[in-house]
Amino acid sequence: MNDKDKFFREFNDSLHRLGRFTLILGSIFLISVPFLVGMINEVSPDGAGFIKGFMRVGTIYIPVAIVEFLVYAPMLGVGGSYLSFITGNVTNMKIPCVMNSQDIAGTSPGQPEHEIISTISVATSSIVTTLVIVVGVILMVPLQPVLSSEVLLPAFDNVVPALFGALGLKYFIKSPKLAVIPLVLMTAICVFMPGMINQTSVLLLPSGALALILGYFLFKKGKL
Amino acid sequence: MNTQYLQSVNSPMFYLIVSLVLAFITLMCFVFLFKSYKAGLKIGMDKKILTKAITSSATFTLLPSLSILLGVVALSGTLGVPFSWLRLSVIGALQYELNVAQIASQAIGLTGLNVAEMSIGSFVTIALVMTIGILGGVFCCIFFLKKYMTKINSKPSADEKKEDSSPSFGSFATTAMFIGLCAAYIGSYIGKLFPGGGGDHMPFMVAVCAAAAMYVFEYLIQKKNMKSLENFSLAASMLIAMGVAVIVNIVL
Repeated sequence: MNDKDKFFREFNDSLHRLGRFTLILGSIFLISVPFLVGMINEVSPDGAGFIKGFMRVGTIYIPVAIVEFLVYAPMLGVGGSYLSFITGNVTNMKIPCVMNSQDIAGTSPGQPEHEIISTISVATSSIVTTLVIVVGVILMVPLQPVLSSEVLLPAFDNVVPALFGALGLKYFIKSPKLAVIPLVLMTAICVFMPGMINQTSVLLLPSGALALILGYFLFKKGKL
Repeated sequence: MNTQYLQSVNSPMFYLIVSLVLAFITLMCFVFLFKSYKAGLKIGMDKKILTKAITSSATFTLLPSLSILLGVVALSGTLGVPFSWLRLSVIGALQYELNVAQIASQAIGLTGLNVAEMSIGSFVTIALVMTIGILGGVFCCIFFLKKYMTKINSKPSADEKKEDSSPSFGSFATTAMFIGLCAAYIGSYIGKLFPGGGGDHMPFMVAVCAAAAMYVFEYLIQKKNMKSLENFSLAASMLIAMGVAVIVNIVL
């Protein structure tokens, strides 16, 4: 092992120590936010509601988190992974940003230079996002009365349909074969069993599982 | 209008708490940035390349950051500005936040993420589910990143190339999962159109408007090669559809 490799190995070990420490601390801070807000307002989280909600969310998002970790960590490197997973917007921003920087720098996978560019890129991207949003939020504060006005209420009450309409189109045109059966089945359930309409969080699990099974089947047949 | 709830989720104290958490994570980014920059110089990298990595990343991030800011606007009406600011500055993404908030609100007995039904008590539970539910990737890093990266780096490069050439199902699994999620939500909006579902046309109409706006964006991105729109397509489609909801509500 030459001096450069030895230095880089020690550097990565120090990033692992720093990354673990800061991620543990960051997670504690993030988890403490709802509790602090609750303390200030003299309310506490509903334990049963939390467990019920977490079971539904975890069933969907823990596998997604594991897949994202396994796929993205090698692309991001050590420092880039620690930063990306705590700063978020991984797929839509960090990955394209890192790939762009590595392309410009002309580094190749496996080189220490590649990982260093990745960490610099993720750190810069996160700092810029934070600054842009800070400026935006400062500008939004005076607009607060407008944002909370009665006239805009239908807009905010329909933010979820707006998201899934847009997202649905994006994903459905990506793979229409995969979308047909879950969409028809979920529509039939909601039309013939109207009680399920307000239980979409329950429907998400069979719908997601069905799409996964169909996806696997189509993938194996080479039709995806 | 649920004024008391909106005041609580937009209180100055909440802004202060969020500022402190964001300050910590930003400081963490600066530390990683300086350490990597110094390490780059130490292994003989050109200062110009390192500086270029910083400037190119900063410019590359500007447009998507503006789109994230639009997401903060979209979320702020139901979850308040400070929490939306926190979630979209760090850790979260617009798709995740709304879906999880909707799941959590139903788990605690609300019909959905409606301002009229929200209270600060329900907000605290929803916020906790949103926070803990997204920490999977963070926990994977804390417990497994070192081992995983060591394993990846010890692989011969020929093997890596072989793996890269045949994508695994893992890369399609997330798309399949999201198709399932979207199907469940769209199905529920269609169900609401019928008398048994309450005959509420608004959610379906908003979803259709958002899909139509997204279709136009996708057309411009794919067919007219306007790649820069990619950063804005989701947030802008949502805001257009939400605007239509306001107009329809006023007209009808």
